[in-house]
Amino acid sequence: MTSFVEKPRSACALAGALSTISALPDVIPIVHTSMGCGGNLSGANSFGSGYWGAGYCGGGSIPTSAVTETEIVFGGNDRLREEIVSTLELIDGQLYIVATGCMTEMIGDDTRGVTNDFIAEGKPIITVSTPSFKGDSYSGYEIVLNGIFNGYLQKTERTDPKLVNIFGVIPAYDPFFRGDLEEMARLIRALGLEANTFFTPDQTFENVRSAPSAALNIVFSRVWGTSFAEEFEKKHGTPYWATELPIGPEASDAFLSDLAERTHVPRRRVEEVIDRENKIYYGYFERTADVFCDSDFKYYAFTVTNSNYAIPLVRYARNELGWVVLDVFVTDQLNDIQKKTLLRAFEDIRFDDTGLLFETDAGAIARAMVRRHPENRGERYFDGHSPLFILGSSIEKAVAQKRGAAQLSISFPAFNRMIVDRGYAGYRGGLHLFEDIVGSLVFPKG
Amino acid sequence: MSYYEQAAPPVRDQRLKIGDSFAGSAREMLECAKSGCMLQRNRLFWQTGACQMALTIMMAATVERSAIVMHGPIGCGTQLHALCVQTGKGKTKRGKQPEPPAWLSTNLQESDVIGGGELKLREAIEYADREFRPEIIFVVSTCAPNIIGDDVEEIVRRAKESSAAHVVSLHCPGFKSRVVASAYDAFYHGLLRHLPLEPEPWRDFVPHTSGRDDFGQIKYAHIKARTVNLWNATSIGPGDEGELERLLGALGLKTRVFAEYSNADEFRLVSQAALNVSMCDVHDDYMLSFLKEKFGTPYIMAGMPIGFHDTRQWLKSIAARFGLENEADRLADNEEAAAREAIAPFLPKIQGKRVLLCGGVVRVGTEAIFLKELGMEVLTFRAYHYESGAEKIYERVADELPCARIAVSNQLFEFCNQIKRLKPDLVISHNGTQGILAKLGVPSIQLFDVDRSFFGYAGVFSLLQRIAFAFRNTSYQKRLSAHVKFPYRESWYDMDAFHYIKD
Repeated sequence: MTSFVEKPRSACALAGALSTISALPDVIPIVHTSMGCGGNLSGANSFGSGYWGAGYCGGGSIPTSAVTETEIVFGGNDRLREEIVSTLELIDGQLYIVATGCMTEMIGDDTRGVTNDFIAEGKPIITVSTPSFKGDSYSGYEIVLNGIFNGYLQKTERTDPKLVNIFGVIPAYDPFFRGDLEEMARLIRALGLEANTFFTPDQTFENVRSAPSAALNIVFSRVWGTSFAEEFEKKHGTPYWATELPIGPEASDAFLSDLAERTHVPRRRVEEVIDRENKIYYGYFERTADVFCDSDFKYYAFTVTNSNYAIPLVRYARNELGWVVLDVFVTDQLNDIQKKTLLRAFEDIRFDDTGLLFETDAGAIARAMVRRHPENRGERYFDGHSPLFILGSSIEKAVAQKRGAAQLSISFPAFNRMIVDRGYAGYRGGLHLFEDIVGSLVFPKG
Repeated sequence: MSYYEQAAPPVRDQRLKIGDSFAGSAREMLECAKSGCMLQRNRLFWQTGACQMALTIMMAATVERSAIVMHGPIGCGTQLHALCVQTGKGKTKRGKQPEPPAWLSTNLQESDVIGGGELKLREAIEYADREFRPEIIFVVSTCAPNIIGDDVEEIVRRAKESSAAHVVSLHCPGFKSRVVASAYDAFYHGLLRHLPLEPEPWRDFVPHTSGRDDFGQIKYAHIKARTVNLWNATSIGPGDEGELERLLGALGLKTRVFAEYSNADEFRLVSQAALNVSMCDVHDDYMLSFLKEKFGTPYIMAGMPIGFHDTRQWLKSIAARFGLENEADRLADNEEAAAREAIAPFLPKIQGKRVLLCGGVVRVGTEAIFLKELGMEVLTFRAYHYESGAEKIYERVADELPCARIAVSNQLFEFCNQIKRLKPDLVISHNGTQGILAKLGVPSIQLFDVDRSFFGYAGVFSLLQRIAFAFRNTSYQKRLSAHVKFPYRESWYDMDAFHYIKD
């Protein structure tokens, strides 16, 4: 039995489905559940991801069957059918996705049956089953991807050897998803390849349609989207590569070399790209050394993020900043297989004595920090792991304040900052992360 | 059995004449409500909104030294991250500790949906009591436990016996009603059933033996006889509370503000007043009639003190209970003279401008009448829901704005249609819609905003100031709207905004 959770950092599968759909071009959600779910969840998604906003057909614009007690008793199929008819009439989209919530799943509505009638008429519509008790926001992302790419999209004979699809970066729950995707696409394109990011403003539904012809799927996650990518491979024949999102030049160099090998890009070409990117990166970075070193900005650190950011971040902090990461808290709810996969990836990188801890509960994380790294309680000589920086969510702000630590919100929920096109991945992202970390320190110096 | 004795409160659909789908004149609206046709109305198309749970936890999150246990799947209550930031600010502004309430989710899984979630709930309450040491634990019962039949009330009853905290159940399953206003009753129902609302001997006072210390008794009775409880709402900020306290203070009345931003100590004083006053006619009737039944405290629902006329009426109806009607009139004369002088420079800038209002049913009606009085042209307004409590103000709307075709709608597609077709100069609208309005290219201001004033004379000045400010430089809206595509097909804007309402 799972236990209760204090201040959960992820909501239900429907929440993840809605953030995912909301980031896709011209894809329209139809929420089959009661009135509040869609609004409540998309509001929370936006708030927790640095005020992402509602978008084209998100937030209060989301069509919903708005079932009430009547439908709970008599069934909601008719109401859903009516809502779909109206939505198709009113809302302009390329694909409509009926996403279910707890209520209609519990009463056993035949959602798929209702949608099938519309499919038979040639309407572009699918159903995804996203009640909370099937999973959290992260699984909602996977469920939607499966529905679209492995369900809706047809097999194609055409393969585009230069086309790469990017998956694994989760809208909202990776608050920097847009900036990260843009930077990854920029680097992939620099090698002469094409990239589908799906979730950035430059994309259209044509990118979604073209996905089955891609030569490679890159999944920037060890745990989210990998089983989806496996299914994708089975259906469309596209192989996948699950790896970490590279943050900073060292990780990005390695990523580009690896990618070049997998896509048969000549070594010379990738070296040129790496050289150019490093020249730019260090052209900026070199000048920051004065304030960074004079101000003694070397820190101990805790990271509190989802599994996607955990390893990339610790790699960056250790390799690019020379920091000592004490513990890495992974906050998404993982099953044992997912935990093992992540631990294996973590072992590959091997950091001194840094712990990788799986903990979702806000209170438990705060307690573990104190238990594992006690503060000085009046001893004359005490190595209290100071100065300390917490790279976590806005929830960690209170913990940091209590401990006199510095803090930057970089994981969900991040609500004490605005996030627009900022990303931390790649070379540019490495500079941005540096800018934000040091930026949070330079003013209240001392 | 009265509602107050039941474990869970009724939703308003059960106890009032209520509706959320209507378009027509105010007179037609009143008739439709009276005949019951309002209840039957529905739509062929719905867009998502909030639920009574969302507003219930919005209220609960304001209570100092409390913890919230969400009994439901992990998605229910996820907006508490946001709510706690808002209420932290609200607490600070009211001079209270900004510390956010601790909150837990019982994180119901598939196995719990089948086997029941009662055990998990019990453990979560025990944990919250032990770990956070709160004064109040709110146990929020969402849709899922209500469908699977968890006996939340029984768990709460048992938890009360073993907890240091007061355990307050809040029954607010969203599927029970599309109208979120039931949330207020759900919150009040929890308070009135589970919290002490009377002073406790040895804690709040020392019991005295008869015949002694009678001066103290007289003094207490004297103060109590001049104490007014004001009942606030999430849309009412400290500025508004302060303005009304100031005005009632000038009449020699003492005020206490409930129920948001109160704590357990303050709740015990609820019964210690001569009069309960609602600040919004559709917010508090459930609680105030309970207090009348239980403690004999009379109450009044005197509309919203927005604008000159309604502020005066509001003050006078309270004052009348204390024989101070004449004083209230003179106070209003005095205040109004100063405020009218202060707003005079703004009037030429707003007169003749075409305005559309959207939001809470009492607020939009009241403000529409006031703006018309000031010389603005009220094109129409949209009330988020309608219920019997709003009848009084809509009788006046029917007289003052007989031609306006008003709507009961919280639906954005209808809103967008109206804006595109009516092209108002200004929209005064509920929070959460300002972004949409900017994307439509229309200047807008908030219908309420807890950081600003809306009530009384401070509110009048602030309103005028904000309207005039909104007209200065609308470049942001113009540029943004040129680059935003809305999801509705073009054909939608040729149709009547209320095409999808069905009888």
